[in-house]
Amino acid sequence: MRPIVVVHGGAGHIPSERAHGSMGGVCAAVKAGYSLLTAGGSSVDAVVEAVVNMEDNPHFNAGCGSVLTAGGQVEMDALVMDGRDLSSGAVSAVSNITNPVKLARLVMEKTSHVCLTAGGAAVFARQMGIQEVSTESLITEYSRARWKRNQEPGANPVECQMGKMGTVGAVAVDSEGNVACATSTGGILNKMEGRVGDTPCIGSGGYADNSVGAVSTTGHGEAILKVVLARHILFHMEQGRSVEEASDLGLSHMRSRVKGLGGVVTVDAKGEWSARFSSNQMAWAAACDQTLHWGLYKGEHFTEAIVQTL
Amino acid sequence: MPAVLVVHGGAWAIPEDLASASVSGVKAAACEGFSVLKKGGSALDAVEAAVRSLEDNDVFNAHGAVLNSEGEVELDAIIMDGKTLGSGAVSSVKNISNPVSLARAVMEKLQTDHMMLTSRGANLFAESIGMATICTEELVSEFERKEWEKHKNYATGIKEDFNAKAHDTVGAVAVDSTGNVACATSTGGIRNKMVGRVGDSPLICGGYADNYSGAVSCTGHGENILKVTLARTIISHMEQKPAAEASELALKYMGDRVHGAGGAIVVTPSGQWAATFTTERMAWAAVENDTLWYGLNPQE
Repeated sequence: MRPIVVVHGGAGHIPSERAHGSMGGVCAAVKAGYSLLTAGGSSVDAVVEAVVNMEDNPHFNAGCGSVLTAGGQVEMDALVMDGRDLSSGAVSAVSNITNPVKLARLVMEKTSHVCLTAGGAAVFARQMGIQEVSTESLITEYSRARWKRNQEPGANPVECQMGKMGTVGAVAVDSEGNVACATSTGGILNKMEGRVGDTPCIGSGGYADNSVGAVSTTGHGEAILKVVLARHILFHMEQGRSVEEASDLGLSHMRSRVKGLGGVVTVDAKGEWSARFSSNQMAWAAACDQTLHWGLYKGEHFTEAIVQTL
Repeated sequence: MPAVLVVHGGAWAIPEDLASASVSGVKAAACEGFSVLKKGGSALDAVEAAVRSLEDNDVFNAHGAVLNSEGEVELDAIIMDGKTLGSGAVSSVKNISNPVSLARAVMEKLQTDHMMLTSRGANLFAESIGMATICTEELVSEFERKEWEKHKNYATGIKEDFNAKAHDTVGAVAVDSTGNVACATSTGGIRNKMVGRVGDSPLICGGYADNYSGAVSCTGHGENILKVTLARTIISHMEQKPAAEASELALKYMGDRVHGAGGAIVVTPSGQWAATFTTERMAWAAVENDTLWYGLNPQE
């Protein structure tokens, strides 16, 4: 099986001054995941590596660069799922750690639970020896400026946040044909304390099953939850649809049933992949057969050979 | 359109000394929910009323709640409206008596369109809408406190308890006379769970309602239900198969794929219903055309 990684850096409207950074970020993340895969790493290793890469990149709404809650805090959600045995780990509303996706992986591997939330997740992170970081270190000037703008009288935070959703995610197939997904987000701007979106919810923020494929989603979280978007797309694939058809069917169902926009990256167990979105833009990148693919606007699809540095 | 309401009081090996109380509890809740439908109430009103009745009953874990590893109570609940796919959920919320009503408030009373609030944020919201808090002691029965002392270790707890004791989610599904469906699920989770553990109940895996196919409420080992997104899987099968067969297929799949046992209640917009489980027992009751159906053991 040829190894594949596909990542997204969020669907929505990406301001032109941020576009370049987002594109560079998804390309770097997909390469990081792909080099692990070609070195014999598992699909879980690859999706976690790719997502960590974007969490550490301040251009994305995950990890450092997360949007702020109404109270000016950072609360992050993340999910990881292993298609071999459907085992999964998730954290919701976690603060003061750099890589929520790593904590989600620990929930999957070190506990008998699937999801830990808020204070309980923080206690678990300490038990696992994860270093606590200050809230300040996760906040960028850009995210603070947007938050401040939304505190001004007459601001319309809901409208403001609809356009800019920068959840990050990845799906991968490794050389043994195992699939995995991971998704991580800071949520939506000006959210209430404790708001949980689609990202940490299995079936909504992502899903991975070796017998079908893997999906990671981004977009309007409440809409994604209502239609359980990732699982919905995999149902279409089980019925014989291609990754691209199934992704488009899922997204158009979400648009017609609950008026929600978003995007997805999808792989199937046979090694087909796609990056589809109903929003204006989605930063995405893919790596397979030593080739890098990427795009931002509808119809865009650039390619370039990957030169691996030893 | 005949209105139908079905409830469950959790799928597990319900011990003999709780059996008759469980059955009378689900019967009472089913009648309570159905009386809402009969008066012309919506499916949403009916499932909320039925689940409140179960939450208020000490026999079930939703209110006679189980304790986590620190000896605290953390509750999860969801409610979903099949007309709009609107839903509200709370996870890891403390010290309120009816999490299902807080979940409904998340769906209806927020200025934002958030669907789920967790932990302290959920409690802050409860406070902001004037929902009364009660002390942990009032949520925990003496029986549970004693059991918790005996099984302080989750790993032993899950081995000995699951399919034996201490884990009963409650839920309800309904279809009203206009063909709208709704579901609600509420739970205290699993005994000795880690602080902050969220199971399937508050997620769309633990319940789902869509007027185009039907409504489901699930119970069983939450981690396994999550892995197969049980409620959504049943609904997908229902788009092609009768309700009972769809539930059986999905529960069998959960058994095969992740070795999980559980139960589900379902209704379709046309009024078909089913109560299915792969555990030893599940307390359930249904009301259709003023007739009450109920059971505890397989084939009842």
